[in-house]
Amino acid sequence: MKKHVLEEDLCTGCGACVNLCPYQVIYHDRTVQLHHCDLEDGNCYAFCPRTPSDLAALKKLLFESDDLTTEIGAVKGYYFSRAVDPELRKIAQHGATVTALMELALFEGLIDSAIVSSRDQEFIQNGAIVNDKIEIRKNAGSKFTVSPTVAAFNRVATEDKGNIGVVATPCQALAMAKMKLSRTNEDAAKINQLKLVIGLYCGWTLSAEKYTKLLLEKNIALKSIIKTDIPAGKNILELYTNNGAKSIPFDEVQACIREACLYCMDSTAEYADVSVGSARFAGNWEEVRQWNQLIVRTKKGKELVDLAVRRGVLEVREAPEKSLKELKAAAVNKKKNALKNIIRKSGSVKNLLYLDGCDPVVKKYLGVEKRLKK
Amino acid sequence: MNKLLSPAKTEVLFMGNEAIARGALEAGVSVVSGYPGTPSSEVIERLAEVSPERNLYVEWSTNEKVALEVAAAASFSGLRSMCVMKQNGVNVASDFLLHLASSGTRGGIVLVECEDPGALSSVNEGESRYFARMLEVPLLEPASFQEAKDLTKWAFELSEKIRNVVILRSVTRMSHASGNVICGKLPEKFRTARFISDGSFMDPLRGPVVSTPVVVKHGLQQKKLQVATELFEKSPFNNYTGPKHPELLIITSSACFLYSKEAIALLGLQKRVGILKLGCTWPLPVKLLKKYLRLTDKIMIVEEVLPFLEENIKVAAMDMLKETGIKTFYGKMDKTLPSVGELNPDLVAAALGKIMKVKPKSLPAGYLREIQKVAPLIPPREQTFCPGCPHRASFWNINTALKLDGREGIVCGDIGCYAMASLFPAIGFHTVRTLHSMGSGTGLASGFAKLEAFGLDKPVLAVCGDSTFYHAVIPALINARHNKADITFIVLDNAGTAMTGFQPHPGINESAIGEPLPAVDIAAICKAIGAKVAVSDPFDLEGTSKILTSFMAERGSLKVLIMRQICALSPEKKGKKQFQMKVNEELCLGDNCGCNRLCTRIFRCPALTWDRIKKKALIDEVICAGCGVCYSICPQKAITRTETE
Repeated sequence: MKKHVLEEDLCTGCGACVNLCPYQVIYHDRTVQLHHCDLEDGNCYAFCPRTPSDLAALKKLLFESDDLTTEIGAVKGYYFSRAVDPELRKIAQHGATVTALMELALFEGLIDSAIVSSRDQEFIQNGAIVNDKIEIRKNAGSKFTVSPTVAAFNRVATEDKGNIGVVATPCQALAMAKMKLSRTNEDAAKINQLKLVIGLYCGWTLSAEKYTKLLLEKNIALKSIIKTDIPAGKNILELYTNNGAKSIPFDEVQACIREACLYCMDSTAEYADVSVGSARFAGNWEEVRQWNQLIVRTKKGKELVDLAVRRGVLEVREAPEKSLKELKAAAVNKKKNALKNIIRKSGSVKNLLYLDGCDPVVKKYLGVEKRLKK
Repeated sequence: MNKLLSPAKTEVLFMGNEAIARGALEAGVSVVSGYPGTPSSEVIERLAEVSPERNLYVEWSTNEKVALEVAAAASFSGLRSMCVMKQNGVNVASDFLLHLASSGTRGGIVLVECEDPGALSSVNEGESRYFARMLEVPLLEPASFQEAKDLTKWAFELSEKIRNVVILRSVTRMSHASGNVICGKLPEKFRTARFISDGSFMDPLRGPVVSTPVVVKHGLQQKKLQVATELFEKSPFNNYTGPKHPELLIITSSACFLYSKEAIALLGLQKRVGILKLGCTWPLPVKLLKKYLRLTDKIMIVEEVLPFLEENIKVAAMDMLKETGIKTFYGKMDKTLPSVGELNPDLVAAALGKIMKVKPKSLPAGYLREIQKVAPLIPPREQTFCPGCPHRASFWNINTALKLDGREGIVCGDIGCYAMASLFPAIGFHTVRTLHSMGSGTGLASGFAKLEAFGLDKPVLAVCGDSTFYHAVIPALINARHNKADITFIVLDNAGTAMTGFQPHPGINESAIGEPLPAVDIAAICKAIGAKVAVSDPFDLEGTSKILTSFMAERGSLKVLIMRQICALSPEKKGKKQFQMKVNEELCLGDNCGCNRLCTRIFRCPALTWDRIKKKALIDEVICAGCGVCYSICPQKAITRTETE
């Protein structure tokens, strides 16, 4: 069954199928199946974000129906935010909101360990499991290659009984949401350890192999990169290195994108407690590049953000109308593109690979597609 | 006392190979060489056992070509010698055999080749009888256990009469079956070796031993064959049994004689069918043939595997057409008998029955019904590696490395127990992609690796065993190194020639008779060739797959990984368990998600059994070898291992 995902270039490298059993492992940034398993409805298939999902059931389980939007999922509140500590903002990405929230959750004992993407010099990510401020800060900053975070979650949930928080990309958030629908007592116990999901806006990730090759061609030493960013309005990937800032034209980077990302509908991590991205307001980039966009989705997420404000860790302000509009437009664009790519791959509008043609969101944007086609 | 040394006139139960060995002893053989190959190996093993008492030198050579050269040297020095191999060993020895047959020999030298029709223990059912015809030397085929002894003894006499090598051909059902043999005398005197080579160039007994001048020597060689033919005409090893005026004449040799006898009895055709059994099958004794071809116009030729006799007899029959008349031949060429595979009495009876229009008595209906009821209950058994076999762990590591590498690497297989990884893909974890002859895996890999320029850009690996390494792999490895073929070469070193019965080889520091010999180190040879060499214990799954994965990722050089772990059946290990293994039922997930029977469904050591009622894995303590590897693969750590004292 998993072969249908792995062999079809649909695998996002989220790691949900790893550390459940001895058959799947992550090697560099590839998901490898070592042996053939003939179970048809195993957990790997159930948790994988690229197999058919009952999205309606998930939405019902996680969110309040009044909050749901078709473009960007559940929205309790939409803000600009940033960490109060300027030092933190320097080392993390944009407003450092993710790091600030995760630090707080650890400090307050809401979680015992956090799983974040690791800062591996060779872009070989394994998901870092951290328990303290220093470790988190070491791993802060956006990575543009995939981190098999859910594999790390699977491992911690097995070895440890503590509460866990995870920084997740959209596909990873979906995988962990699917785990909440699990069937056995053991599986339920494991996913119940998951107390917090901080989602990340995501457009795509890069294949480590291709990206590394590209950087070598550009004579950029992997070890020298401190931070990576995509400045709004410019068509480049910006790298901050020990030897100053370097930029790579975006179309060269585009060639390194993992194929699986082309088929993804979710740009804002719709299945998280909160989702964080860059305050991308093209006009005033220099002003807002120090801020994050913050979507609060669940009660738990709201409680954490309120706590962060009360504790003086996080600064939150109203986001301009324009920003929300732009965000929604970008999100819709991704959904439409994903459907276009899926139909191109499957060869037929009737075959949406892992998506359900009856799902209202899918239907809506498919309809748009169909109308546009006409 | 070793039964091979039984006194004259005693009747002993001998395996065919033992009978051949006894025949050689009675002929006073001094030097015996060969390479292990089923079904021939016992000839050398038994002779090795009695070599001190019989003043014998017995050697397991690195390959059949060298073995024949060793035996030839003895013959040139006036000693009687014998070289033993399986059917495709003759292919390996054939270049030297061609030249040996031309140069001629001195002391009697017999090449014993034991064939495997139906490929019961081979990956081919090649026919080496044609070498006799092609290389123009006499061919003998014993058709009973007594003949296996007597014909071998006579072969040495024949060889000395014509001063050339004689081929004696056996098959599995002759070599490995047993029968009563009446022993002859064992000689009391032993020969001394003297190599005289300073005589005149054209003197076959005193001059240098060369195959030149070629055309002249060739002519002499053919004259020798004529001498042999004359002897065959009067030989007691060719004989007829049956009615004076048979309706059908069966001409046969080797084990097929026994099948034919049985078929005739099964069909009750003793009064209608006669058998001409040939023990001397090349050159054909044509005068004898003419005599029996006159008996009837219907001739059936029963042989395996290829129609060697049939073709030769038909040619001879054409020549004597005017005197014997036109014959109808039944055999392989007209599909009366199957053209491939092993024969047996039933197949021969079916064919014979068709020709003679007699139906064999079929089994009673009730018996057939019982068979049909029981047959589905017989559990299917596949061939697999023994419990504790290092190859299972080695292929596990190879599979892991291939999958992590992700480029669909090509693994070329070779001959040995590990050949089963090609024959039964599941036990090799579906890794091996080619299988041919000794050493061919490395040669193929050397070729595949140069195809990158043509678009084939995949990692190329070759596996071979320690014995195979010395036999044929070294030239291929040198080829790979010199021609910059980027291959990852894996030696499965289990300290012996295991598949054929754990005979020693040059990597082992002892001889065929257990005397100390210097071992030749595989790692040193590979290093000298210029390869990057690493040694690892395949039982260390993590460590070994790590090295292998990194070797595969390294491009542009020859990498050799020696996976070293002794065979589970070796004398050091057999019967002794390093670990006591047990499955903790509470931790075992069985066929549930999270494991789905990794140990019994994928790893498949025979000692790992599946308890269908409890739905848990269970270790069969009787056949478990205690190697401890399954401890490393269980995801739940449900398989425990404790060191035994």
